[in-house]
Amino acid sequence: MALNSTLYNAIFKRTSTFVLLAMASTFFFERTFDLSAESIFRSVNQGKLYEDIKKEE
Amino acid sequence: MIKTGNFSKLIKSTSQVVSNSYKTSNKAAVIGKKDVTQPPTLLLTNGNLAKSLPTGNFYVCSGPGVTTQVRFAHTDINVPDWSSYRRQDKKSTESEDTRKNFTYLIAGAGTVGGAYAAKSVVTHFISSMSASADVLAMAKIEVKLSDIPEGKSVTFKWRGKPLFIRHRTGSEISTEQGVPLSQLRDPESDSQRTQKPEWLVVIGVCTHLGCVPIANAGDFGGYYCPCHGSHYDASGRIRKGPAPLNLEVPTYVFADDGSLVVG
Repeated sequence: MALNSTLYNAIFKRTSTFVLLAMASTFFFERTFDLSAESIFRSVNQGKLYEDIKKEE
Repeated sequence: MIKTGNFSKLIKSTSQVVSNSYKTSNKAAVIGKKDVTQPPTLLLTNGNLAKSLPTGNFYVCSGPGVTTQVRFAHTDINVPDWSSYRRQDKKSTESEDTRKNFTYLIAGAGTVGGAYAAKSVVTHFISSMSASADVLAMAKIEVKLSDIPEGKSVTFKWRGKPLFIRHRTGSEISTEQGVPLSQLRDPESDSQRTQKPEWLVVIGVCTHLGCVPIANAGDFGGYYCPCHGSHYDASGRIRKGPAPLNLEVPTYVFADDGSLVVG
C-alpha cells in the first residue's frame, strides 16, 4: 500500500508529472519496441537479407 | 293510526331460563380470525413503487386551504438493503490508491503508445521530404589533387554544373594576391576565395548569362567566357566584360589523403 500511495502522490496526482513520465517512458518504449521488431524481422527473414547475400559473394 | 297498545302483545317478551342436563364444556379448537385486509406494502421494488404512485386521470384541487403537494417517491423510500452485496472485510479507502494507480497506469500506457505512433507517423512523412540516396550520392565529388599538374585547370561535373579546379603556379598566386581591391568590380581578396593558395575551386558558370568559360584564356590569364567576352582572372574574379560577379566558390574541404571533397 505504501508503494501505491507514494507512486500516486509522486506521479499520477499531478498532470504535469504524469505527462512527463509518459514522455520519458516513450523514449525507452520506442527504443525497445523498434529494436525488438527489428530483431524479429531479421530472425524471420534470416538468409534473405542483403547482408547475408553480400557475405556469400 | 298505529297505537302502541296494539303492539304490546307482540313486544312482550319472556325471560325464563330453562335448565338442561348439558354442561358447558371447554372449547376444543379456536379458529383464528382471518386477515381480510392486505398488509401495507413495503416500497422496495419498482412494482410496489409504481402501485403507490397516483394513476389514471389526475385532478388537482387548489386553493388557499388546499395543499397541492403531491408526494413523489423521493424522501419516503426505504433504502434497499445492499448488505449482501457489500464487502464487509475491506474499506474502500484502503484500496483507493491501488485502484487509482491501475486506472492511471492504463491511461499512461495509452499515452505512451499514442505518442510513439504519432512520432512514427510524423517521422515517416518528414523523411519522405528529405533527399533520396541517389541524390545524396551525387551531391559530393572527391578529386585526387595529385592528378592535376601545376598550371592546369581541370573541369568536373558536380550537381549538373561544371566545376573548375585549378592548380595555380607561384606567379599566378603572387599576381592575384597583389591585385588591389579598388580595381575589382566585385571586390574579394584572393585569400577570401581560396583555402590553400595553390588550389582554386570555382563553379564554371559565367555570372553573366550562364555560359561555361574557357580556362587559361582571356586578358588576365584566368578564364574567358566566349559568349559575351567576360574576362576572369586566375582567382575567378571578373575583371572585364559584362559579367557582374566573380565566379562562385562552392564549399569544399581538403581531406587528409591528398584529395579534395566538394559539396
